[in-house]
Amino acid sequence: MDDTLVQVEEVTRTFPLDHSEVTALDHSNLRVSAGEFLAIAGPSGSGKSTLLNLIGCIDKPTSGRIAIDGVDTSQLNAARMTTLRREKIGFVFQTFNLIPVFTAAENVEFPLLVQGLSANERKARVQEALESVGLTARAHHRPDLLSGGERQRVAVARAIVGRPALVLADEPTANLDTRNATQLIDLMRDLNGRLGLTFIFSTHDQRLLEHTPRIVRLTDGRVVSDSQLEGASHGQVLAACVS
Amino acid sequence: MGKFLLLAFRNVFRNRRRTVMTLLMVGGGVAGLLLVGGFFAFMFRGLRESTIRTGLGHIQIFTAEHFQRDEVHVLDTGISNWQRVAASVRAGEHVRGVAPRIEFYGMLSNGVKSSVFMGSAVEPDVEREMGFNPRIASGRDLSTNANGEVEALVGVGVAKSMSVKVGDGLTILAVTADGALNGIDVQIVGIVNTGFKDLDDRFLRVTLPSAQRLLQTDRVTNLVVGLDQTENTDKVAATLIPKLGGLGQPMAIRKWVELAAYYKQVRTLFSGIFVFLGIIVFFMVLMASVNTLLMAMFERTREIGTMLAMGTPRAWIVALFMVEATLTGFFGAIVGLIGGNLLGMALNASGLHLPPPPGTDVPMLFRVLHVPGLMIGASLMVVISLALASILPAIRASRLQIAEALAHV
Repeated sequence: MDDTLVQVEEVTRTFPLDHSEVTALDHSNLRVSAGEFLAIAGPSGSGKSTLLNLIGCIDKPTSGRIAIDGVDTSQLNAARMTTLRREKIGFVFQTFNLIPVFTAAENVEFPLLVQGLSANERKARVQEALESVGLTARAHHRPDLLSGGERQRVAVARAIVGRPALVLADEPTANLDTRNATQLIDLMRDLNGRLGLTFIFSTHDQRLLEHTPRIVRLTDGRVVSDSQLEGASHGQVLAACVS
Repeated sequence: MGKFLLLAFRNVFRNRRRTVMTLLMVGGGVAGLLLVGGFFAFMFRGLRESTIRTGLGHIQIFTAEHFQRDEVHVLDTGISNWQRVAASVRAGEHVRGVAPRIEFYGMLSNGVKSSVFMGSAVEPDVEREMGFNPRIASGRDLSTNANGEVEALVGVGVAKSMSVKVGDGLTILAVTADGALNGIDVQIVGIVNTGFKDLDDRFLRVTLPSAQRLLQTDRVTNLVVGLDQTENTDKVAATLIPKLGGLGQPMAIRKWVELAAYYKQVRTLFSGIFVFLGIIVFFMVLMASVNTLLMAMFERTREIGTMLAMGTPRAWIVALFMVEATLTGFFGAIVGLIGGNLLGMALNASGLHLPPPPGTDVPMLFRVLHVPGLMIGASLMVVISLALASILPAIRASRLQIAEALAHV
């Protein structure tokens, strides 16, 4: 049985710049199975965020095809893309992007509100998600009263509370110190193992790559290495990413 | 839904300084409208009551013929059985009194100077009972038992132009009901200042028997009905129509508002001014709010992008901004209601007077009425203007490109 969750085929994304255009992603291919824990690595401007945006259905490729859980996203209109994101994808952002006027629990509850779940179900799920990230005691604190690590854990709880098939994290540790960054990756790894959630995150942080079983390396918008496809050892790919 | 409203509510107070400024602006608009509208309402009420109390009454009864043909001679179309009609009307609910009147005109002379007049003949005791008191500048009002003397009140303009004072005598010349010229001598017992110069220059008042003797008639021109409250006018008018039908002579009634041409003109003019002010306030609130809401949208671009990325329908974003603006309008209206009413109370307590309006020489008391309809109207206006102001920012927010919004710094 095919367990492919994400299929990226010959995807190109260009952006207009003055009177020319910039190619952020150039005929890239990627296949991610359900339950994987995958890092997209590469230097700044290599196309990591663009690839995540395309996989997350918040941008459309200039050419090529992306399928999420068997659904060809190029065939979807805006409303169905919204529904797909709501039901299948959770997001974690570099700058946390929590709603500042909501408490931690209310932030986690927001995706469930959008999904139209009942108050009782929302309450139970929020509690469960906050427990998963170890923040039950901070549930009623607003983001400005939480540390950076705590805020990002709230963001992770928010990403997983809707039980998505896929969690996308764009540079999730970029604003964290080493201890909080390691704790966050351990947490994501734990959720990946415990809940079977598929994680794809972008990073250029070596600390994270050491904890990552599969690393896809991008350079100038092209996939230049994939530890799974090449059969390379983790150490070799890691060395390639760091170099 | 509750959480959604909670989010909107908290967003309203997110940037407190800006919210306070917005609320002050919106509240200021509401307070301004309440003060101006409240003052106008006071002015309208004052003008209405003074129009009624200075002799117009709440309802006037005429013969139906009075309105059907041009009057050739005074009292051609007068009420003949007026005592019976008055008694019948007086017995009705809310009726404080019924005053018979003769409206006539003619010439005044003191042997040296002459002047035209517009006269009215009244029963002084009845007028006093009904609160129709002339504003006596000097002397006294007419008395019913004048010991054979024919008493008269004249306006300050008449007294000045004819160089007469209280105690002086005058001759009144008028055309009788039969068309003959007749005259009587009168003694001035009081000088009246109506507050209206044009009226003061022609004013003459005598007792009803004196005028009937002068005009050689037992008829009256009209009956003036005074009520306990102006608000009962329509109700009483409705009961009078069938009642008057059975009294022999065909009758017609006119409510005070139909006879008060000056009141209607003033009201129309000031209502127009108020509507104009309302439109200015509406657009001021609208334009300032659009700017504020666009700023709020710009600041929250990444947050909106995040919400959209999580699958929030774009309609929710539109609704969120519109609810926030509506709440701002609501709170602004509350600020305006409190501020406007407190300021109104302070102004009322100050006893402030304005210069005399055109045509009068009496300083005008500045008072602000607290009008519930005005409060509701002004509040609704700012809430609606805020809701309208939010449409553009809301649509812009909902149309943000998610990837660009997430990258917004």
